[in-house]
Amino acid sequence: MERISVTVRLNGINLQFDEPAFARLQAYLKDAERTLERNPDRAEILGDLEHAVADQCMRRVPADRKLVTLAELEPALEEIGAVQDPGIAEPPPATATRRLEQISEGAVISGVCQGIARYLGVDVTLVRVIALVLLLVSGGTMIVVYLCMMLLLPFAAPQRGGEPVRRIPAKCREFVEALRSKLSTVAS
Amino acid sequence: MTIEPKLAPIRKGLLEFLVLKIVGARSVYVPDILRRLAGTEFATQEGTLYPLLSKLRREDLVQYEWQESDAGPPRKYYRLTDAGKAQLAALDDYWIRINRTISDIGH
Repeated sequence: MERISVTVRLNGINLQFDEPAFARLQAYLKDAERTLERNPDRAEILGDLEHAVADQCMRRVPADRKLVTLAELEPALEEIGAVQDPGIAEPPPATATRRLEQISEGAVISGVCQGIARYLGVDVTLVRVIALVLLLVSGGTMIVVYLCMMLLLPFAAPQRGGEPVRRIPAKCREFVEALRSKLSTVAS
Repeated sequence: MTIEPKLAPIRKGLLEFLVLKIVGARSVYVPDILRRLAGTEFATQEGTLYPLLSKLRREDLVQYEWQESDAGPPRKYYRLTDAGKAQLAALDDYWIRINRTISDIGH
């Protein structure tokens, strides 16, 4: 059994997507949301982009089918292009950033080792090996240290053309962000 | 050696100016702007233009209104505010001045 289509409401316009196209659309919008993380007009821009996607797809879908597939969505997204935040200039090259952050793309757990490696300008494997050795000799202290860093360090903005985010780092980030927003609600 | 990396930031900075010019000429929606820029050095995409227009709106340089269209969903039509018109005039003036400086220097 498989699900054939999903009805998606894009800025007020209802469209049918098949599963692969739906997944692709979700990934695109998620990326856009992350790029615009610090943009005060994020909600409005995302609405505009949804509108553009709907507009483009409607023009491409054959009238007798009314189902958006990757064949329509890919060229539509190609034409719309990745979202660029005008507030932030070109992202600085990774090695030049001197901010200690965790980097979800390509991470094993939450990206703390990658963040440290970028901060120090050393190879991430070296940091991971040291972390692993410390984990083995510290008798659990390292786990607490890692968890603290995971909870405290900001998440780096996604790099264009970066590695994908694997499942565990994505979950870690989700968890930490949910926790932070809960804490800030409690605080206010 | 390519000079492209040196030109990219110039284009990026001027895009905002050109968008103000296009919006200033008449009330437009985003595909109009894209069409006007297509084929020029400033060809761009919705992914770039919508965030830029939101920024201009936040700076109170443009405003938009929804208009019904015959083909499909309603569209956002943008036009300049008074502050936008003033800024466009200032940019136009500045552009003429730096152009003159560039062509005068080195001769």
